[in-house]
Amino acid sequence: MEILDFYADWCGPCQMMKPVMAEFEKAHPEVKVTAVNIDEEEELAEKYEVSSIPCIVFIKDNKEVERVVGVASPKKLEKILEKFNA
Amino acid sequence: MKKYDCIIIGAGIAGLTAAIYLERAGKNVLVLESKIHGGQIINTVNIENWPGDLGVSGAELMQKIYQQAIDLGAEVEYEEVIGVVNGDEKIVKTEDEEYKADAIIIATGTEPRKMSEKQTADAGKRAISYCATCDGALYKGKPVVVVGSGNTAKHEIAYLENLASKVYHIHHDDPIPEEAVAVFVAIGRIPNTGIFNGIVDLDQDSYIVASEDCKTSAKGIFVAGDCRTKDIRQLVTAAGDGAVAADAVIKYLG
Repeated sequence: MEILDFYADWCGPCQMMKPVMAEFEKAHPEVKVTAVNIDEEEELAEKYEVSSIPCIVFIKDNKEVERVVGVASPKKLEKILEKFNA
Repeated sequence: MKKYDCIIIGAGIAGLTAAIYLERAGKNVLVLESKIHGGQIINTVNIENWPGDLGVSGAELMQKIYQQAIDLGAEVEYEEVIGVVNGDEKIVKTEDEEYKADAIIIATGTEPRKMSEKQTADAGKRAISYCATCDGALYKGKPVVVVGSGNTAKHEIAYLENLASKVYHIHHDDPIPEEAVAVFVAIGRIPNTGIFNGIVDLDQDSYIVASEDCKTSAKGIFVAGDCRTKDIRQLVTAAGDGAVAADAVIKYLG
């Protein structure tokens, strides 16, 4: 499983998600989490058709399997991971 | 089933302020939050009317208030509340758990009002956003449309005019211009009170009926912040409600 975490420095909800994502990464070293600054990586944001941030895209076997748009609780992220790791 | 003196539903400024006051009074408190702590204000980059900290961002302010509540001993669980059973002892049900408490404070705030079905269908596959400062930069140099006629809509338009190639402005239920690639919706807010219908009295707009004492129609259930009937919905008034509701709970618990 891989996660792309689309954010921007000026986005308040993204700031709130930072500690959540940091905790998540610590708890799941097997998951590759990449933070993507949409101001610096416009092409990637466009490729994934990111229309609202924060946007957390879950990728398994090179395919997007789920995305969470807007703030999400740590539990919600855990549940998604569980669903696709089962 | 774990039992608390008070369960607070919602971790915005009203709920977290109530948690701080209750913890300082030695009560044990659980705060339940469906998304992330902070509430509506986390969308605001520059707060200009919070006394003493001009220009603080909503995210920074709420992270501090959250930490203060946690350091005092408040527990926070990220679970969506799906129902409440009222009685001398209250039961709060979430998707995964059930908790007991002697008192409840509802501090669930509001959410943006969605477009009508007709307008949503008209928007089709185009991006829909409720926050220009959050998502505006994704549409640099592209045409967008703002739906709404109130103050928020005016702010959204002013913000987007610096980014988008063109900002169309339409009212609720107007057709959406074909050229617009994203739709920014600012047609007011509605309270998150659906699950409390039948447990506490709601007004015609679904706000929980209570006066400045933050007492609802149900014994032992209190309300704080934007989801309450009130004239002014501001950060400071929500924080004030948190203190008042906490005090009411302390007196209720005896």
